[in-house]
Amino acid sequence: MKIGVCVKVAPDTDTRIKISGDGAGIEESGIKWIVSPYDSFGIEEAVQTQEAQGGEVILFSAGPKDWQTQLRAGGLAVGAERAVIVDDPALAGTDPLGIARVLAAGIASEGCELVFTGKQAIDDDNVQVPAMVAELLGWPHVSFVTDFSTDGSTFTATRNVGGGTQEVVTGSLPVVITAERGLNTPRYAKLPAIMKAKRKKVDVKSLGDLDLSADDITPAVQLTNFSLPPERPAGRKLEGDVDTMVQELVRLLREEAKVI
Amino acid sequence: MRIGDLYNPTEEHAALREMVADFTRREVEPQAATFDEKGHLNVELFGQLGELGLLGVTIPEHDGGAGMDAVAACIVHEELSKSDPGFALAYLAHSMLFVNNLYYAASPEQRARWLPKTISGEWIGGMGMTEPGAGTDVLGMATTAVRDGDHYVLNGTKTYITNAVEGFIFLAYAKVDGKITAFVVDRDCPGFSTSGKIDKIGMRASSMAELIFEDCRVPAKNLLGDEGGGLVHMMRNLEIERLTLAAMSVGIARRCVEIMVRHGQERQAFGQPINRFGQIQRYIGEGYAATEAAASLVYNVAREVGPDVQNRVGSDAAKLFAGPVGKQVADYAMQVMGGSGYCREYPVERLWRDAKLIEIGGGTLEAHQKNLCKDLAKLYPMS
Repeated sequence: MKIGVCVKVAPDTDTRIKISGDGAGIEESGIKWIVSPYDSFGIEEAVQTQEAQGGEVILFSAGPKDWQTQLRAGGLAVGAERAVIVDDPALAGTDPLGIARVLAAGIASEGCELVFTGKQAIDDDNVQVPAMVAELLGWPHVSFVTDFSTDGSTFTATRNVGGGTQEVVTGSLPVVITAERGLNTPRYAKLPAIMKAKRKKVDVKSLGDLDLSADDITPAVQLTNFSLPPERPAGRKLEGDVDTMVQELVRLLREEAKVI
Repeated sequence: MRIGDLYNPTEEHAALREMVADFTRREVEPQAATFDEKGHLNVELFGQLGELGLLGVTIPEHDGGAGMDAVAACIVHEELSKSDPGFALAYLAHSMLFVNNLYYAASPEQRARWLPKTISGEWIGGMGMTEPGAGTDVLGMATTAVRDGDHYVLNGTKTYITNAVEGFIFLAYAKVDGKITAFVVDRDCPGFSTSGKIDKIGMRASSMAELIFEDCRVPAKNLLGDEGGGLVHMMRNLEIERLTLAAMSVGIARRCVEIMVRHGQERQAFGQPINRFGQIQRYIGEGYAATEAAASLVYNVAREVGPDVQNRVGSDAAKLFAGPVGKQVADYAMQVMGGSGYCREYPVERLWRDAKLIEIGGGTLEAHQKNLCKDLAKLYPMS
């Protein structure tokens, strides 16, 4: 079974984001780039599935070919077999649907039967791409999955639906699964695997290689301006005896925060 | 971290650093204070180093290692030492002093006999050189080995041996007819024993004891190389030992810089953060500069240390300069933190205690000075 994983490379979670001078993007110099952490859960689940069922794990990315550094360290060194990066100048201005078209075309060209990815990337938090990929492939998808199993033809996926309720979804492959925190614990890249990863294959493709053109990914959405959220005001410390502090807290929650 | 810089020359070095740093944050840091208190090696955690493939970092891939270089060895030691230098020291004694040393001294048959179980971590290893009566004066060692049929009979004592308590297998030096010779001795050799644990001020997450040979019968097939060939192996291995000890000092110093920079911003005195005071700025500024100078020297020398490259001048200079930096910067960090730095609640006092060892172990500062004078005189002879 060929198992695909859609992977995005994003700024490390510790990054202090700065807006670029023209306000149309972020300052990229000095950023440490990592595999988006939810995608790491997807990679781990794919590798565990491959270990149980056999087959091959293939990573798919739509982005600059330089991402292969992170794909090797965060994917090929933890059990994925190879990677496909679609790098094309037209990708620079596209939107989530454009990215989904590229990923879906890549997945279809490889004949995958099961696709994992993170529930969202940690940079722009769009959340839309996995569902779009599934729709474009004509597959079902299950999002925010915290437990997954498959026998190679059917699957069972558990997802949290809020309020402590869990939903169990069963169905037949193919399917797109999006990973929520808790699905698994990603393994460390073992040193010999890091060394072997440098010899694994990374195919860099253009849109044309997937029978797509720039017109196919013309954005419907354009990002025109970036601004940082306002700085959080300093906390307030309540003083006095417990009764006074509780009364004041309740008053603030009702009158200022308006949550009760 | 930038791939291609002095500290991460290739993608693989960067990925290794990332992996060890992640492992250190998640697994090593939480147990460090506990095993400092207990005063022995966390054997289970050590086993995880084997699973991660770190115990054979410098061993070629075709012999079951990772096939990496001295820079990679420095990366592992530096990153582990940011949280637990004592644990890193046990790693050094095993991976550098036993595994790396053995590999370059052993025959293919011997490699096959001992490497798999030491690279996996099933057996913990160490190395015995220092004796009660011979430290820096290593040629004055008194342990002897005498051939008796298909065995050698060893007599003598090695002391201050890291991993002697938990270890199963050791590379030990003894004199055959007055010439230093290397042997592999394990706990199955009759007449071999270890003393009780020797208590110490720092590096308490690794254990230290004596190796005792009392008419110890070692199979002749455990002789490494030739009789009298031990000195060459010993000197070659000392280079990477010194370099990785220096890298440990860099790890301690880098952690202490981070701690004092954060503390300097958070801690208020006289109505402002203490990093506004010139006295504190001096500790932070000079501590950082010393740390980066040490790191630059260590990693620069590491590029020129390997099985086929002799670089005693470089490795002695690296440890002579970088060795005291860990202790110095830990001291600065403790001074910046004041009372809290002196308390067990924070890691600085432990790093400060651990750091001192690097001025003594693997060659005292005085040994490096002696070696440098001798080697530099060869480089610049009298005209």
